[in-house]
Amino acid sequence: MIELQQLSKQYSDKVAVDGISAVIRPGVVTGFLGPNGAGKSTTMRMILGLDRPTSGTALVNGRPYAKTSAPLAEVGALLDAKGVDGGRSARNHLLWLGATVGVGARRVEEVLGTVGLTEVAGKPAGKFSLGMGQRLGIAAALLADPGVLILDEPVNGLDLDGIQWIRALLTELAEGGRTVLLSSHLMSEMQLVADHLLVIGQGRILADTSMDDFIADSSDGLVIVVSPDTNTLAPLLTGTGATVTSPEIGRLEVRGLTADAIGDAAALHKLRLHSLIPVEASLETAYLNLTRDSVEYTGANPHNTHSTTTTDARRAA
Amino acid sequence: MTNPTTTVTAPTSRTADIAASRRRTASATTARRQGLGRAIASEWIKIRTLRSTWIGMALVVLVLVGFGGLAAATSTGSVAGPSDGGGGTDPLSVVLSGANFAVLVISVLGCLAGAREYSSRMIAATVAAVPRRWQVVVSKSIVFGAVTAVTAVTGVLGAFWLGMAILAGGDAATVALTDDDTLRELAGMAGYITAIGTFGLGLGILLRSIAGSIGAVVAGVMILPPLAGALLPASWDEILQYLPSSAGAAFTTVQGAGREVLSPGAGAAVLITWVIAALGGAIISISHRDA
Repeated sequence: MIELQQLSKQYSDKVAVDGISAVIRPGVVTGFLGPNGAGKSTTMRMILGLDRPTSGTALVNGRPYAKTSAPLAEVGALLDAKGVDGGRSARNHLLWLGATVGVGARRVEEVLGTVGLTEVAGKPAGKFSLGMGQRLGIAAALLADPGVLILDEPVNGLDLDGIQWIRALLTELAEGGRTVLLSSHLMSEMQLVADHLLVIGQGRILADTSMDDFIADSSDGLVIVVSPDTNTLAPLLTGTGATVTSPEIGRLEVRGLTADAIGDAAALHKLRLHSLIPVEASLETAYLNLTRDSVEYTGANPHNTHSTTTTDARRAA
Repeated sequence: MTNPTTTVTAPTSRTADIAASRRRTASATTARRQGLGRAIASEWIKIRTLRSTWIGMALVVLVLVGFGGLAAATSTGSVAGPSDGGGGTDPLSVVLSGANFAVLVISVLGCLAGAREYSSRMIAATVAAVPRRWQVVVSKSIVFGAVTAVTAVTGVLGAFWLGMAILAGGDAATVALTDDDTLRELAGMAGYITAIGTFGLGLGILLRSIAGSIGAVVAGVMILPPLAGALLPASWDEILQYLPSSAGAAFTTVQGAGREVLSPGAGAAVLITWVIAALGGAIISISHRDA
């Protein structure tokens, strides 16, 4: 479990993280979303004690990370896959990391196998492709079998195979009771793997909610209807209070009625339906809606009170 | 945990317990406490798994032995005995002719050992693995200091034996290892090389820049002292004798900045103070700045 309490980081010219409070729970994959420069990486670095918070605290399993007795066994992190010495082999990189908590060669071979780097483990890490470097970073995070994993953009540079692999791996780790905090720019990927979402913008929390609620909140209940009888159907639906637009002949976009209700109404009046498609919002749409709001409000109100109200609204929902 | 912005409803402590118990049973991994000993073990793996360490250390030995042998060969016949006191050079100085160059090489290696992780950005992984960051500086300096000391002793002894053999072969005066002060002089030189390398390591961590720290050490130890000694009035000699190189000159054959030189004991103490100051500065810097 990771607890952030009023966590802030101020640089000389800007506030990177502005009083974030949240609990990242074990047992689920928590997605960490936000535009570039929103403070995701800074927050992750503060959890690991790499950057010192200006105020507030970040606790890992109830303690500051720097006070844990076996740090790598507490938190495994992938923050900067390029942050390895290019002259050292992947195997030796893992060996020196493991040595800090007494994890030796056997486990190193094990994680090399897990991430699929066994065959190139003797090659200098500097010769690795982006995807191989990413796999090495993941191996380093898994090395001491930590209960908490923090991964910044782990799918960057991975091929489809690798993406599917890490998706399964993260799900499995979370199901095994671990805390998994994951950031990614790939919304479709995030939607597949994360159960919970922490969205930040301009250093503040915009949403802290389950993936399902987050998407449902943003859906406006759009149903697309394809029918040769739209001329009869449209006034009928409008009569029940729905909003109906017709972008083209034979096609209606209905808001305010469920697909079931539309189908029943059509059957009742013996109208033909060729398609009846409820449109689910995607994480991408939901995310864009939220961050666009936040940007607009920030323009009007420098104190950005909107972000807290958004969070409240999400929580109430 | 009652936190205003969370939506937590699950019994988190129980889930955490499950996680902890699974971790204990499910894997062959058993992580142990991270302490200074493990930090040292880790740094030892780091230093020995870089080819540049072996090349660099071999270069130090090569420079010491090579230049010493070369100087001995060229000076055969012009070498004066230690009791001579005339204008000639004593045999020990001749066979240690490579010392200045070796100090230059070890300065570079020390700065690399300190600043290399900042240029590769691997320092983040290091301080995440060893968050009590003073241990990073202490373990790095212990490991680098030990490797350098072994290297310097090897090089100095090699230079001594090769050089003296060449001198003896040329019928020139020699000194024996068992002669007064010979062993002390050789140990002093090895100590000086080790100290300057470790000083560079401290500056490398402090300045976080390979080029910057090499510039600082080379300028401060090798370039500025002779310049200052030559350009500044003699009244400055009192101060110049406390420079690292002058302190080294108190107990080795390297050249000091001014005309005044401390006693060997005081020189060693001053040099050690420089090293401790650099490492102390590095500890303060690494502990307080963001990684």
